[in-house]
Amino acid sequence: MTQALADANSILGIEIGSQNTRAILFDVVEGRYNFLASGMATSTQKAPFFDIGEGIFAAISQLQLLIGRTLVDQDGNLIMPAQSNGEGVDKLFLAVSGGPQVKTATFGLLNEVSLESANRLAETSYAVITDSFGINDRRSIQVQMESLVKARPDIIIFGGGTNRGASRSIVRIAQMIALTLSTFPKDSRPEILFCGNRVVAKTVSEILEKHAKVTVTANIRPTLEIEDLGKSSEEYGRLVLNVWKKRMDGISRIAPLCAEPPSISSINYQRMMRFLGKLYDPNKSVLGIDLGSAYTSFASANANQCNVKIFPFGMGDGFEEVLNRINIDDVGKWLIENVPADELKEILWQKTLTPGSIPVDEKGLAVELAAARAILDHGMNEMRQQSLLAANTFEPIFISGSTITHAPTPQQILLTLLDGIQPVGIAPLIIDKHGLLPILGAIAKSIALLPVQVLESSAFANLATVINIESKTSEGTPVANARLTYRSGSYMDVEVKQGSIATLPLPSGDIGTISLNLARRSTVEGLIAPDEPFKVHGGVCGVVIDARGRPLTFPKDEAARRERYKRWMFMLGA
Amino acid sequence: MNASIAQTHPLVQIRRSRTLPVAGMVLVRVGQKVTTNEVVAEAEMPSQFHYVDVMRSFGLATPIQAEKLINRKVGDQVDKNDILAETGGVFSRIVRSPKSGTILSIRNGQMLVETEKSKITVNAGFNGTVVEIIKDRGAVIETNGVLIQGMWGNGKIGFGPLQVDEHQLVSELEASSFGLENRGMVVCAAHCTDTKLIESAAALPVGGLILGSMNADLIKLAEKQDFPILVIEGYGKTLINDYAKQLLTANNGREVAVKAVKWNRWTGDRPELIISLPEEGDAYREIVELKPGQLVNVHTAPYVGQLAFVNKVTEGMTTLPNKIKANAVRVKFMNDEYAAIPLNNLELIDLDNRYTGKSA
Repeated sequence: MTQALADANSILGIEIGSQNTRAILFDVVEGRYNFLASGMATSTQKAPFFDIGEGIFAAISQLQLLIGRTLVDQDGNLIMPAQSNGEGVDKLFLAVSGGPQVKTATFGLLNEVSLESANRLAETSYAVITDSFGINDRRSIQVQMESLVKARPDIIIFGGGTNRGASRSIVRIAQMIALTLSTFPKDSRPEILFCGNRVVAKTVSEILEKHAKVTVTANIRPTLEIEDLGKSSEEYGRLVLNVWKKRMDGISRIAPLCAEPPSISSINYQRMMRFLGKLYDPNKSVLGIDLGSAYTSFASANANQCNVKIFPFGMGDGFEEVLNRINIDDVGKWLIENVPADELKEILWQKTLTPGSIPVDEKGLAVELAAARAILDHGMNEMRQQSLLAANTFEPIFISGSTITHAPTPQQILLTLLDGIQPVGIAPLIIDKHGLLPILGAIAKSIALLPVQVLESSAFANLATVINIESKTSEGTPVANARLTYRSGSYMDVEVKQGSIATLPLPSGDIGTISLNLARRSTVEGLIAPDEPFKVHGGVCGVVIDARGRPLTFPKDEAARRERYKRWMFMLGA
Repeated sequence: MNASIAQTHPLVQIRRSRTLPVAGMVLVRVGQKVTTNEVVAEAEMPSQFHYVDVMRSFGLATPIQAEKLINRKVGDQVDKNDILAETGGVFSRIVRSPKSGTILSIRNGQMLVETEKSKITVNAGFNGTVVEIIKDRGAVIETNGVLIQGMWGNGKIGFGPLQVDEHQLVSELEASSFGLENRGMVVCAAHCTDTKLIESAAALPVGGLILGSMNADLIKLAEKQDFPILVIEGYGKTLINDYAKQLLTANNGREVAVKAVKWNRWTGDRPELIISLPEEGDAYREIVELKPGQLVNVHTAPYVGQLAFVNKVTEGMTTLPNKIKANAVRVKFMNDEYAAIPLNNLELIDLDNRYTGKSA
């Protein structure tokens, strides 16, 4: 362990997002890796710079100002390795999550089996599905071929057949793909990821590799009952990154400086979620949500499974897609003040033209956080519908994405998350303010100790431990009496009524004990022995008891709705 | 500290790459004068196929057997009902071409007959001179003139004489703008909220529409139109900013090329209008450091479309009125109001101090 720390003490991670580039510095303090600081700047892979370098330089410059250390020399080169005077860093890692749109076409056999799995695989990275083809496709082969030509995919995911299962249909599809690709100009042929029946993998490769580069990976549907996206997801992420490398200047130039080849954040994030899933209660699930500019990632993991779904929408570059998928009324219902429907529509659509914009007034902020709630709600519903939640209760929930983490008050962040996610049971909320998870995932491959030690540090902010009480009683009826006992032995009592939110202060890093006296017909999901006291961790907002019910309901009358919402905000001190 | 730029110039040197999405044939040469609608490059793409599975049609076991029976090769022209493959013998079975076309591919006992091609062309987009050829893809066209960049376009390109009615520049688009005398003209107005007016413009048809803003409900209808619709400020009822208004008014009647593409930040392609002028323009700049006194246009509520002068550039984070911390500059609006505006919410609009309105 000492050797590893001595080899590389000072680690710089760069994460290139669609909107922002982050430079994150870790260093050894008192024999352990710690997160020191992060600098952030606007990403520059788009016009007018067309190169990631400028954004990286600006982010590192901001980082240097924060830490008072020189990392870049006068010629603009990163000082490596770290010098005895503290200048420079030992190792550099680069992760990318913001590239131009990657189009994926999916092929499978049965719609509800392999094609569905192929589509799910496509949603584990930053891409959009332009068309899907299965054997039940009602289009004629000609039309399917024309559709494939029109789709112009960058990547083809080709699944189908359990191992030792269907093979003739797979070969026939491979021949159809090969025939169609032969009409593509050579320089614009997609890479193919074959993730179907292993038995025919060699034949499929032989048919396709005359026309395109083929990668064979693990079968995503080894048996009818089992879906396994683990290995194929990594390969797919690598293919997405390959497309970006061709279209984004600067990655190849910076790659030789890196300790590991540049990686894609979707894989890194998944790696960390899988790791975190194994650390916590196997009956619950770790939930990770990254509300990005172009994409929004949802991940749910425990010891048994790790599911990731990346939506091609977000709070910036992907905001137009948000408005295509989410009704504006579902944004408006979270607003505390009266914003006429036309004005709300204008503000939201204007945001599609200014993806990096930041609200300057209270109204703009309220609209932004309302949109964030709508996205979280939409994402959670999709995760539920597709059975991608490893469990119903989450412990903990990791949140990143600057719209949420940069909201002015922790209460605003908390209420946004509670409204959007609507967790049940007991859910600690952890804020990844600096977007550390993807870069920790990138570093984990070569310095496994670093993520472990950083996760144990205070780099992540505990926002609150939320206890969600569900009850069938009417609004205003007491549903629980709660007592929080502090380590000092002192305690605080609170009576919680149906439809309300109560808070009990407990600072971050502190542990308290909660005793709940639940009223009849009131429950906390997943709490096996509600009469027994249980330990809770503190957070910026302390311990929060949410008795508003699930799903949240609102009065039909607009004024009454706003009044109720105002009350919730007041209860939280937002 | 750099800021994004919405190029708005009375006279600037403009160079634009006009390229095909796939390799094709370039039809112009360096030094050639081109007009807005002139095609600079073209390519043919197969758009309809007919798929023939010879192996399955004949019930053969291997693709090799099938390929032996195919008596055509890639590139052959075939007419409808021409024989593509036959088994031979007394009771010969035959596979015929269902349509006329070209044999595009023969693989694994399957044939692909291309029955229709679609031609992709790229035109010059504005009057100018070819200054560079991009091999197999297109050309770089150069001109000098007025350049005004906008926020949204309906994906169409067009041109026509600019028609500026001072009343329309500050008011909702009206039906009176679509008289017969306006056919083929590029009409300017402050904003449009009415579907009927878009339909009237299409019926005439106009050469294009230049709007300050547009109701977001009109997006889908606007995208269906064949003529370009360029929105300078965004969605809602925002007027065209004062500086762009000045430039439009000064060039009333001149031919304007409207490239109403969607803003693609990955390619830098942005909705814009160009009025070529026979004079030498200022140098084109894409990256400019933000300084006090510069004119900016704010794109977000509550200041959409408002011009302001940079008052103070601050290093580090500024706390906004809603308590969000952001990289921001202090600006002074034309009504003498001051505000901190995040860098991401504004664009530099006058790089050469040509704006003739109020000064900083």
